[in-house]
Amino acid sequence: MPSISTTLPDLCRSQITISFHSSNFHVAIKIFNAVSDTGIGSCLEEFQDLNCSSIIAAEFWDGILSVKTTAICDDEIYHYHLNLRKNISSSRTLTRLPSNPKNGLKFSGTEVYLSISESIDVLVSAINHFFQKIMILNIPNIAIELVTEREDIPGSRCENVFLANKSNPGPLSTSNVECLKSGLEDYVLRHGNSLTQKCNTCFATSERLKVGSGIACSTENHKSSGLMMEVVVIISELESKCPCFRECSSKTEVLYFKDFTPCSISHSTLNVLSTIDWQSYGLTLENVVDQGVCVLEWGDSPSHSQIDMVLHCYHKQYPMHKTQPEQHLIKKAVTAALNNLKETHPGILRSAHALKICSHAPDLARSIAGLILSSNDPDFQGECFSLLGLESREIGANAVEDCIQEKIVSVIEMNDRKPRQRNVVAPSLFEDDCDQDSSYQDKEYEEGEDEFIYLD
Amino acid sequence: MKFFTDREICYADILPPSEVRARIEVAVLNFLKILTCADPAISDLLLINRKSSNRRVSQGLLTDDDTWIFLSRSFCKRSLMRANAAKAFIRVWKVMEMCFKILLQEKRVTQRELFYKLLCVSPDCFSSQLQVNRTIQDVVSLLRCSRFSLGIMASSRGIVAGRLLVQEPDKEMVDCSECGSSGYAISGDLNLLDRLVMKTDARYIIIVEKHAIFQRLAEDRVFNHIPIILITARGYPDIATRFLLHRMSRTFPELPIMALVDWNPAGLAILCTFKFGSIGMGLEAYRYACNVKWLGLRGDDLQLIPEESFVSLKPRDLQIAKSLMSSETLQEKHREELALMVQSGKRAEIEALYFHGYDYLGKYIAKKIVQANYI
Repeated sequence: MPSISTTLPDLCRSQITISFHSSNFHVAIKIFNAVSDTGIGSCLEEFQDLNCSSIIAAEFWDGILSVKTTAICDDEIYHYHLNLRKNISSSRTLTRLPSNPKNGLKFSGTEVYLSISESIDVLVSAINHFFQKIMILNIPNIAIELVTEREDIPGSRCENVFLANKSNPGPLSTSNVECLKSGLEDYVLRHGNSLTQKCNTCFATSERLKVGSGIACSTENHKSSGLMMEVVVIISELESKCPCFRECSSKTEVLYFKDFTPCSISHSTLNVLSTIDWQSYGLTLENVVDQGVCVLEWGDSPSHSQIDMVLHCYHKQYPMHKTQPEQHLIKKAVTAALNNLKETHPGILRSAHALKICSHAPDLARSIAGLILSSNDPDFQGECFSLLGLESREIGANAVEDCIQEKIVSVIEMNDRKPRQRNVVAPSLFEDDCDQDSSYQDKEYEEGEDEFIYLD
Repeated sequence: MKFFTDREICYADILPPSEVRARIEVAVLNFLKILTCADPAISDLLLINRKSSNRRVSQGLLTDDDTWIFLSRSFCKRSLMRANAAKAFIRVWKVMEMCFKILLQEKRVTQRELFYKLLCVSPDCFSSQLQVNRTIQDVVSLLRCSRFSLGIMASSRGIVAGRLLVQEPDKEMVDCSECGSSGYAISGDLNLLDRLVMKTDARYIIIVEKHAIFQRLAEDRVFNHIPIILITARGYPDIATRFLLHRMSRTFPELPIMALVDWNPAGLAILCTFKFGSIGMGLEAYRYACNVKWLGLRGDDLQLIPEESFVSLKPRDLQIAKSLMSSETLQEKHREELALMVQSGKRAEIEALYFHGYDYLGKYIAKKIVQANYI
C-alpha cells in the first residue's frame, strides 16, 4: 500500500487487474496506484522492505516485480525490475530498464506487474477477501478497483469497485478511528462483508448495533515514531431467522491490522488479550484460539448477542522505523473501548456483580414506593415526589416505582464503571452522633450467631 | 448504683405508632435524598450489632442481683452493594414497609402472621419464620424502637396460675387460682399487660420451665399449700411472659422469684434469659431482666433421682454449656452447677422426681422454699 500521510488526505486510486493467460497458465497481476493525479510516484524503498515470502510462496512466484513509476514533475517513466526472492534487502537486485518518455504529458502513477502460476479463482478469492478486510479500515481517500479478465475469452472483463463506506461517506478529514468505527459497522451490518448491503433481517433499525472505541498511543522519541493503537468493539443483536445467523455468538474473531495491513496476531498480543479483566464487563473468556485467525471464546454469553472487535496498530509517521512492541497499548485501548461502550450504552457489559445487585432493584423500588404511597402524610409524600422529580399529576404506583428503580439502577451502573479497587462507601441511612463513639465494625451479622434460637 | 454504663446503652424506645411511622418516613426521605443528590448512592443500613462481641453487662455495684445485659454502640451494616448479602438488605425494607402499613391500619400482628403476610407479598425474599424474626430485630436495631412499637404483638404462650388476682381494663377480676390447670393466658398485647391491675397474697413467684410440670402443680393446687404464683413461658421465654414477670417484680418487689428447670444446660439458659435478657432480643434485652434464683433441679437434688432417669448430655447441650460458661454474667454458684453438669456428662428432667409419687413435687418445692434452698 502506498504511504498514508495523516496530515494531507490525498486522494488515491488503485486499480488491480488480474488477467489469466491460458497459453502459459499464468495469472498476471497489474497493480496501478495513483496518488491524486497530480502527485508523486512511488518510493522504491517501499519495495525493498517487502517481505515477499509472506506474500506468495516460492512455488507460485519467481519473486520478480516489474515497476514503472513517474511523478508529476518527471519527464519520463522509470522502469525497474526488482528481484525480491533474495531475503536480505541489500542483496536484492534492482535492475534499471530503459525509461519511456512522457512527451510533455502531465501525469503520475506507479504500475507494478507480477506473474503468478496460481489458479485465477483462488487468486481472485484471496484478493477479494483481502479487500473485504481492508474495507474495515474504511480509509476515505482510497478508491480500489478490481478487474478480472480471461485473455482468451472476449468480454470476460469483470469490474468490482471497492469504495470506502459507499453508503455513508464521511468527510476526508475524519480521523482514522472514526473511519475504523464506520468500517467495522459496515462489516458487521453486512455480516463480515459477505453481503453487498446491510442485512435487513437483522438490522432493520440501526439501533441493533452498539459501538465503542478506544485509543492508546505511545510517545515519540528520536529512535522511533509514535505508535497508535485503535480499538473498536461492536455488540450487535442478531435475528435467529437470518440465514447468516452464525451460532458462534459465543465467539469473537479479533481482526488485527498493523500499519493499515491486515495481519495475524502475535503470540504476545494474544497473551495481553487474555489478561484483560473481562469479568468486570460481565464477560467470561473461556479460551483464546489462535489458528491463523484469533478467536476469543466466551462462556455464558446471551445467545443473540455478537461481539466484533478490531485492533489497528500503526506508526504515526512514515517512514516507519524499528517497530516498537505494542503490547502495552493493547490493554489500554481495548479497556478504553469497552468502557466507552459501557458509558454510551447504559445497561450493557454489566459485571456479574452488578447484574446480581440489579436483580434486587425492582423489589427495593417497590418497597420504597409502597412506603411513600401508603403514607397519610401529604407533606411527606410531597417531599418524596419533589426529590424524585415527579409532578403530582404523574402519580401512579407504577410511575413512582419505575422512577425509583431507574435511579437505583443508574447508581449501580455508575459504581460498576468505577475501577474495581476503589471501595464504594455508601452513606448510612441515619447519621447520628452515636457513630463518633462507636467502634465501627464493617461486618455482616452472621446468621446463626444467636446464643439461642429465638422462636417467639 | 450504676456508673457510666448508661452512656453506652443503645435503647429501643417504646413509641406510639405515629412516632414510629415518622421514623420510617425519615428513613425513606434520607434514602431518597442520598439517591437523588449530586453524588448519588444507595445508602447502607446501619444496625446495632447483635453479636456477643457487642454485649455489655451492667453489674449492680452492691449486689449481684441487679445485673442485666444490653447492647452497646457497635454497628454492623446491611448493604445492597454486597451481592451475597443484598437480600438481607431488601428484607429490612420489606418488613419496614409491612409494619408501616400495619401501624396505619392501627392493627397488631404476631410474628407468625407477619411471616405469612410477607410470604404472600414477597415470596422471593422470605423463606422462614426465623428469617422474619431476625429481620424484625434488624428493624428494631435500625429504628431504635421496640418490636411492640412496630405493631408486632408477642405471641401469647405464657400462662399464670396461683395466688394472683388480675383485672384487665374494663373487665372482671380473674382469680388465677380458679383457672384450673390451663391457667390464665398471658396476652401478647404489651399495652394490655401494662394496664393489668394485679393483687396478690403470695410470698414467692415460681417460674416453671415446662408446661407439663406447670399443669401438674396447678392441678394439685400446690398454691393452696404454699403461697406462690406459678408462671411459665412453656419453654423459651417470650417477651410477653418476661414483660409480665418484670411487672410483677416491680409491683411486688418483696416477692423473691425462683426458677424450676430441668437439670441441663438448656434449663439454666432459660433461667439466665429471664434473669439477664438475651442478645437475641436485641435492643430490648435489657428491659425485662429480673432477679431470678435457681430453686431446682440442682446438684444437691440428684440423690433424689434414680440412676435410670439420667441421660447423657447431647452435643447441643454441650454447646449451650460452653456459651453459658463464656458469659461473664454467670454467677459463681451457677457456674459451679454448670461445671458439675458437664463433668458428669448427664442430665435429668424434673419429671424424674415423680419416682417418689406424683405429689412429691409439691412437697419438694415446699421443703426447698422453707429451707431457703435457692441460689
